[in-house]
Amino acid sequence: MAPRVLDVDDVSKTFRGRRPVRANDHVHLTVESGRVVGLLGHNGAGKTTLVNQIAGLVAPDSGAIRVAGQDAVADPDRVRRLISVQAQANVPITGLTPRTAIELVGRIRGVPRAQARARADGLLDALELTEWAQTPAHKVSGGVARLTAFAMTAVVPGALVILDEPTNDVDPVRRRLLWTQIRRLADDGAGVLLVTHNVREAEHAVDDLVILDRGTVRARGTVADLTRDLRGTLQLVVDLPTERDESPAHTWPDYVTAVSREGHRAQATVPAGRSAEAVAWAQHAVDTGTVDRFSITPASLEDVYIQLVADASATGAPRPLEGAR
Amino acid sequence: MTALRQYGLLTQWQLRRQSASLPILVVVQALLAVGTVLGFGIIMGEMSGTAALFLATGAPTVTLITVGLVMAPQMLSQAKTEGSSAWMMTLPVPRLAFLAADLTVWTLVALPGTLLALLAGVARYDIELSIAAWALPAAVLVSLTAAAVGYAMAAVLPPTIAQLMTQLLIFAILLFSPITFPADRLPDWLADLHRVLPVEPMAELVRAGLAQDTFTVPASSVAVLVAWCAGSVALAAVALRRRG
Repeated sequence: MAPRVLDVDDVSKTFRGRRPVRANDHVHLTVESGRVVGLLGHNGAGKTTLVNQIAGLVAPDSGAIRVAGQDAVADPDRVRRLISVQAQANVPITGLTPRTAIELVGRIRGVPRAQARARADGLLDALELTEWAQTPAHKVSGGVARLTAFAMTAVVPGALVILDEPTNDVDPVRRRLLWTQIRRLADDGAGVLLVTHNVREAEHAVDDLVILDRGTVRARGTVADLTRDLRGTLQLVVDLPTERDESPAHTWPDYVTAVSREGHRAQATVPAGRSAEAVAWAQHAVDTGTVDRFSITPASLEDVYIQLVADASATGAPRPLEGAR
Repeated sequence: MTALRQYGLLTQWQLRRQSASLPILVVVQALLAVGTVLGFGIIMGEMSGTAALFLATGAPTVTLITVGLVMAPQMLSQAKTEGSSAWMMTLPVPRLAFLAADLTVWTLVALPGTLLALLAGVARYDIELSIAAWALPAAVLVSLTAAAVGYAMAAVLPPTIAQLMTQLLIFAILLFSPITFPADRLPDWLADLHRVLPVEPMAELVRAGLAQDTFTVPASSVAVLVAWCAGSVALAAVALRRRG
């Protein structure tokens, strides 16, 4: 087994205040060298709080955090030498150019100038940013700034690399380049903790997943592990007509489960054996105008995720199409 | 050694980040410094000899305190507001290196103005300086103490409150501290208070450093200032290492 670079053991953190917030509740999580671990969760699920505790910016109320065997709670200074972090918010680097910023961070992390420059140029090239390498930071787009922030993290990666929503604002072409670089960090021996709420993207890019919801870990495992239970099911997705937004008259058939709705799109789980019936039902709904379009697909990680974090009351009872909001 | 290298690189980072506004900052700082010397002269009326020398050698202390207490922590407040400080703090850099780098940037910004103000004082009041060899380290001690106090406040308080607090302090220091005027003009209780506060020792040290033929600094003042410096740097270190 590859060495563990991160071991979060039973960590809890409550932010006190007029309305105390339990940000992390007995969280367990491990990241091994060479693996990309996705930490999935809603806004406010406690992802960034966990990152801040690993980086020694926030102290846990209880539990232990070890990075490459070092105690992150007792000795945050030592642990900061072992990790590199890309923050959720873009780091403003006004006054610098992407190349200078990446190179300077590399040197601050203790690498000689020539090596930092070579690595910076390598990353700029790999992410196709060379065109903006010398552009003052206030003139580059959000996506370029985001990729620069990634490069500032990857220039001298620690044993553990933490990336908080690295793909935000990044265009689809460079997103692929970014995923390649993230994979390369792991291949070179780092453990990568990838924080995101973009489930679809994470599905194809991570080795292991941890799903965090309201401070607690709801599930963990590989994508295959997590979707196993849904293999006998299909996902029925329907697009509702915009003008029928307020009162869709139609109801789901009684064999669907896990109904959800997002804007004009509603979704439900259908047992694989009843897919023909479901298609017929959906086609009828299209014919009568209660549904614009529909699709039936195999269950994805997103479905698992939604099922896990959805309100416990969202079970299989027939319900109107607006579903469990 | 690593810490020193990191301090240098952080200073470079901060200088570059401020590069667009550096020229205007230097000019404004110079106007403020020269304005302090000439303005206080107007408030106090015609002066000559020791009184004028007192004013001209007090003005740099005002600048040094302003830089340390207001300007350097302003960078931390600004970084907290724009969101860069949380990330910078994840870097494997000693926390006090951030303070040292910000203080260096602002000292460099204030340097031309301070020198210009000294020259303006010399020209306007027709005085002669006698600069001691230790004037420079003395100035560093003064700025460091002020910056550590300001930094501790900026680290602990929300940015807007921190800015208000430092401004209040500057107001009190400018008007109610024996920097540009002698302590005997203050009410007794305030003069007594200043014997344990760092402001008067700061002024005495800088004054003696700039006009060593006329002024001396009591050993007790140096002791008070060194104690304040050690205490406030320790406080700033604790504040910067504080975890939520």
